Amino acid sequence: MWLINTQGEREFRHGHEAYGLAAATARACVRFCADVEDEWTADEERSCYNCRLRRWTRASFLCLAPAS
Amino acid sequence: MKILVCIDDTDNLESRGTGDLATELAEELQNRRWGQSLFVTRHQLLVHPDVPYTSHNSSMCFEADIAPEYLQPLIDYASDYLERESAPGSDPGLCVAVVDQLPDQDAVVTFGRKAKEEVLNKQMAYELAGQLGVHLSEHGGTGQGVVGALAGIGLRLGGNDGRLKGWLDIRTREGWATVGEILSQVPLQGVRTMDGAILGPEQMVAVDDKPKAVLIDGGTYLMVSPEREACAEGVRWRTTPRHQLKKF
Repeated sequence: MWLINTQGEREFRHGHEAYGLAAATARACVRFCADVEDEWTADEERSCYNCRLRRWTRASFLCLAPAS
Repeated sequence: MKILVCIDDTDNLESRGTGDLATELAEELQNRRWGQSLFVTRHQLLVHPDVPYTSHNSSMCFEADIAPEYLQPLIDYASDYLERESAPGSDPGLCVAVVDQLPDQDAVVTFGRKAKEEVLNKQMAYELAGQLGVHLSEHGGTGQGVVGALAGIGLRLGGNDGRLKGWLDIRTREGWATVGEILSQVPLQGVRTMDGAILGPEQMVAVDDKPKAVLIDGGTYLMVSPEREACAEGVRWRTTPRHQLKKF
């Protein structure tokens, strides 16, 4: 699910369009926190793509939640 | 006179969004009877390792019609507001442009388009703002938000970028409404397919939760896509899913 980049950050391996996986990952995440609605890009509200702890990258996003 | 106000980079991971601040500015302009504000649009800028941003790199812009004597009070108020309300660690920027006084509208529209594709910097933004005579100012941190603030003005002026802040409150009967019913409830130019066709008032549309409007050809539109599983006889369209609106 995650790649660890050279800065030690966790990057989602599945890009910008893996809506099912992003939703499933968010459902299982205790640190999910919905971003403001204007920044949502997924139709499922609870999705890593709609989380304020994701930081978009060109290929995917970084998860900024502290690793549990 | 018609003005555009755009702000960028006011938030951090814990704070309110830049869109909320833009909305409050637009409302305060009206509360003070300086003029009339229109809707706020969100404009996506380049996501690139060399561009500093909190999590999404978007700017927020609104149009207003104000009397000329309120321009400077508005700039002063917005500047103070950003310094007061922007989140710690943010790099807020403010741009205010008087549309009819822009000597070269194409230049700012081009700057906006470039900010979606290239890494631009503060010097470029200040140089163009100086040439065009628009107000551009920074209000904390590195002030990097001036780039997105000027770019947002260009993108709003170009009329073909951005989603409207918030969602449309559309009453339906069992999940659908005609285009005529939709347009009687929300201030839009029309209901439009992703191919660019404008639907007639009798067309029936299935309306999903929290539908968004976008800015195209200078107008505001609800986007629809072909409906595959009609919720009622005659319903051939459904509001376009949010993930397909990312390109706006």
